[in-house]
Parts: sequence; C-alpha cells; structure tokens
Amino acid sequence: MFNLLSMDLYRVKRSKSVYVCFLLLAAATVLVYGIMWLLETPQGQEIALRIGLLVPQELTEAESILDGIDSLGFFRQICLDGGMYNVVFGIWVMLFICADFQSGFIKNIMALHQNRWNYIGSKIMTAWIVDGCYLVLHLLFALLMNRLFDDLTPYAGWKDILFYLSWVWFVTAAFAALIILICVLTRSVEAGSLAAVLLGGGPVVMVLYRVLNMFHLGDWLKYSIYLTCAMGPQKYTSVKNLYVYVVGFGFLILYTLIAGIVLKKKDI
Amino acid sequence: MSTERQEQFAIETMALTKMYRDKAAVKNVTLKVREGEIYGFIGRNGAGKSTALKMVSGLASPTEGEIRLFGKPVSDPAVRRRLGVLIEAAGLYPNMTARQNAVMKAKCMGLADERSVDTVLKVTGLADTGRKKVKHFSMGMKQRLGVALALLGNPDLLLMDEPINGLDPEGIRELRQLILELHAEGKTILISSHILGELSKIATSYGIIKDGELIEQISREELEEKCQDYFRIEVQDVQRALVMIQETFPDVQAEVSDARSIRLYGVRDGSEVNQMLIENRVSVYESGFHHMDLEEYFLERMGKEGGC
Repeated sequence: MFNLLSMDLYRVKRSKSVYVCFLLLAAATVLVYGIMWLLETPQGQEIALRIGLLVPQELTEAESILDGIDSLGFFRQICLDGGMYNVVFGIWVMLFICADFQSGFIKNIMALHQNRWNYIGSKIMTAWIVDGCYLVLHLLFALLMNRLFDDLTPYAGWKDILFYLSWVWFVTAAFAALIILICVLTRSVEAGSLAAVLLGGGPVVMVLYRVLNMFHLGDWLKYSIYLTCAMGPQKYTSVKNLYVYVVGFGFLILYTLIAGIVLKKKDI
Repeated sequence: MSTERQEQFAIETMALTKMYRDKAAVKNVTLKVREGEIYGFIGRNGAGKSTALKMVSGLASPTEGEIRLFGKPVSDPAVRRRLGVLIEAAGLYPNMTARQNAVMKAKCMGLADERSVDTVLKVTGLADTGRKKVKHFSMGMKQRLGVALALLGNPDLLLMDEPINGLDPEGIRELRQLILELHAEGKTILISSHILGELSKIATSYGIIKDGELIEQISREELEEKCQDYFRIEVQDVQRALVMIQETFPDVQAEVSDARSIRLYGVRDGSEVNQMLIENRVSVYESGFHHMDLEEYFLERMGKEGGC
C-alpha cells in the first residue's frame, strides 16, 4: 500500500487540480473578507456607500454582522458551514480517482496489486493528507487575510483551533471516502461531480431532513457529514463534544469498507 | 533453450470461464503457454481474447476455473511482479510526460532505482521525449510507452493485447524487433493480434479462440506441417474428378474445398493430374500449387468450427 501511496503523492505534486482547487478556496476567502471589510470598517463603508453597496440606513445592521465571531468562527463560516470546502475538496477527490479509470492507468496498478484494499487504502490516505494540508493552509490563509483586512475578527485560541481542525479533518476525510466510493462504483466524472455538489453542498441532506422531519426523525441527520461540519462544536466544552470524532471515524470506516467491497466485486 | 525449461508453463489456465450474466465470454479455456515461448493468441473481435487476458493479468476475476503463473496461483504477489501487462490501449496519464508515467509505474512496483525507468524508455525509443506530454504523443508513441511500462521491473512474462494496433510500418518493425530481442533474453510473451501475417513472423506457438472457446493450440512446427503445400484444381464436375483421382492416385489425399475445387495433398507432379482429368474429359479451369499461411489456416479453422 505504501508503494501506491508514494505513487499517489508523486501524482498529487504534479497535478494542476490540487493547486486550482486550493486557489478557489483562497479566492472565496479573499472575496468574503473583502466584502466584510467593506461592510464593517469605516474606510470600507465609505467606499460601499459610494458604490451603492450599502445605503446609510443599513450601516448599523452591517456593523453587527461579525459581532461575537472570532477568526475561527469566521473561517468555518466561509469554509465549512455552507459546504463550500466539501464541494471543492470533493471535486478534487473525484478528479483524482476518476483519472485512474479514465486514463486506464488503473490497469497498470491492478495488474500488480491483486489486493484491492491497497488501492482504496492508498487513496484514502492521499485524500487525508491533502485534506490536512488544505485545512491548515486555508486556515493560515484566512488568518493572513484577517491581518491584512485590519483584524476584522478577534483571534481564536490555539486550543480551539486544534480541536476544531482535528475533528473537521476526520469528518471531511469521511466525505472523501464517500466520494471515492461513488467514483469506484460509477467510474464517472459526471456522477462524481454531481455527488460532490449535492452531498457536499447540502441539498440532499436538507431534502432528507424535511422528509424525515415529517416522521419526527430529522434530528438524526445532525450526525450526517454535512450537518456535523455545519453545526459541530467550535470549542471543547464537554465530553459530549467528542461525538464529532465518532461521526467522522464511523463514516470513514463505513465508506472505506463499502468502496473496497465494490472494487473487489467489479472487474477493471 | 533446455527441454526442462520447455516443459514448465509460464501460464496455465484450467477450465477458465467468465460469465457476464447468462452469456459466457470465455468458456472452459485450458491454455498452456510454455516458458520461453512467443504465444500468438488469435481470435475474431469479441471472441474472448481480451477477457481471457484480463483474467490472467488479474484485472477480471474468473467465474470458474483456475489460473497459474509459473506454477503458482495468479494471486501470489511474488508471481505478479514477474508479469508485465499491456491490455488494450496503454493506460497513461495524458497530462504527464513519458518519464513521469514510467516513474509512476516504478513507484507502484516499489522500484527505488529510477535507472530502470531510463532503461525502458531507451529500449522503446522514448528517451528523448523530454517534457512533451503524453496527450501530444502519436498513437504509436503511446503504444511504445505502454510497452515500456510493461517492461518495467524486467518481467519474465509479458501479456500484450493488440500491441501492433495504431503503429505505422516502421513502428511495427521496431516492436517486432523488440519482441524478438526480449524473447532471446528468455522472456515468455503472449500476444493477441488480428494482424496474423505479423504474428506469424514471431510466434512460436498459437492458440485459436472462437466464441469464448479455445479450439486449438498448435506449435509453429505443427502449423507448418498442417499448412503443407497442396495442389488445388478447379474443375467442372467435382464428384467425377474426385473418383478418378482416387482411383488413379491412391496415395494422394483429396479434400473438396468448395463446389468447384479440390485440394490434393501429396501430389509431386501436377501436370499428371491435369492430363489424366483432361483425357477423361473433365474440364479443368484452373490448377496450381499453394501454401497455406496462418491467415488461411485461421480462416479455415473458423469455417470448420461452423461459424463462417
């Protein structure tokens, strides 16, 4: 499996998509910080009024948008709460997996590695590594933007940052495992993209939530990947907060197992 | 090559079967490829060649049957490292260079030394492609890179499915030369191809597959014997001609090939046959000696099996 991991990391370094997807995340961050700067700071408001982005009556309301939000809270609002991160990261995972099938390189891999779990294990680990890099670099970038845009939000404590990033890393890795499963099942870029958008962006969960709510079962969906990312704890306050690790680890194992079984059952 | 080596099988399949729902793509195939052979695997489109090769290379799992490579189960990781595969189109990342693709395969195999990458690129004539991406390669270059990837790790057994496809005449000649060199090094090579003329220049034995069934395995020597010269006559009345030939030349073997022609094996002087028939007022439209090539033999076998 480590031979495959070494091969996958070699490809990650040389693929454009990994950089393009990070640039998308960074661009969205710059955009949101820019808008907030226009709404929240006196210099920004002056410009916003001049260009018609704000009317004077809205000034007070605009100033309170970031009340009670620290840099970590703002980062998660930009990145994870709305599902943008999972959509972008999911698309990258889909491109990475589908390239093996579309190029036919999978034949070179599988002719050597009869044990299909090696393949799934390597892909999960690669996605996990990229996921970790994305989360850390994106957070650092967001903090840099915070600094550049006149410290729009107060800085969060490092313990909170560590706690938040650690469970998010698990939960988003579980989402990567779900996308890997869909890609090995369908081997289709179209199906993978659709899954990344619909599952990562939340429409599927929200529709399910409404349906299940009719039977008073909607609350169970707070343990879904999408709602865990959106509503999971930002700070560690009690042992109950640790449910997010169970959700992340549980889905990671579940989807990895199903992906492995699917790959074993299907011919290349 | 020693006799002992000849008796060891690089590939052995026992009653190999692959079903897709109710349809059998490969039926009960018992294939034996001796070490050191160049084995030509022949069959029409959809005959089951690629499916059989996919099962041997581990890309598809058999519904029934067993596969052994060098006497060991195909699932043995040690035995898989002795196998190089080029199935259908070469599997290559289009946005990478030839070297990057080869490095990827080397990493996949766990080869730490990248010199083997340079060696296979040199052998296949791709050492000078530099930073050119595979998506800009010609079909022939892609096929050669596919061969290069299959050669990584110096495998003892090469499986090549239609490796000549898309190559220009020069590319075909180069690949033929390469295959012969690899054979001289002692490698076992299984090639499936439609280009029978090309295959007959290199193969040392053949397997013919039809509708998923292996209908014949034959060595080059046996094939040459079967493709012996024959004297073909085209006559007005086949039945009458046949009776006369059998009466006059009892040692000659006669075979009616269609409504107007007869093949005669063991004839030394064709003019004697012609003269006898004309004297007996049987019109002879055409006559002459022929030598069957692989293509004719293949087509004949396909016909005999009732498909044509």
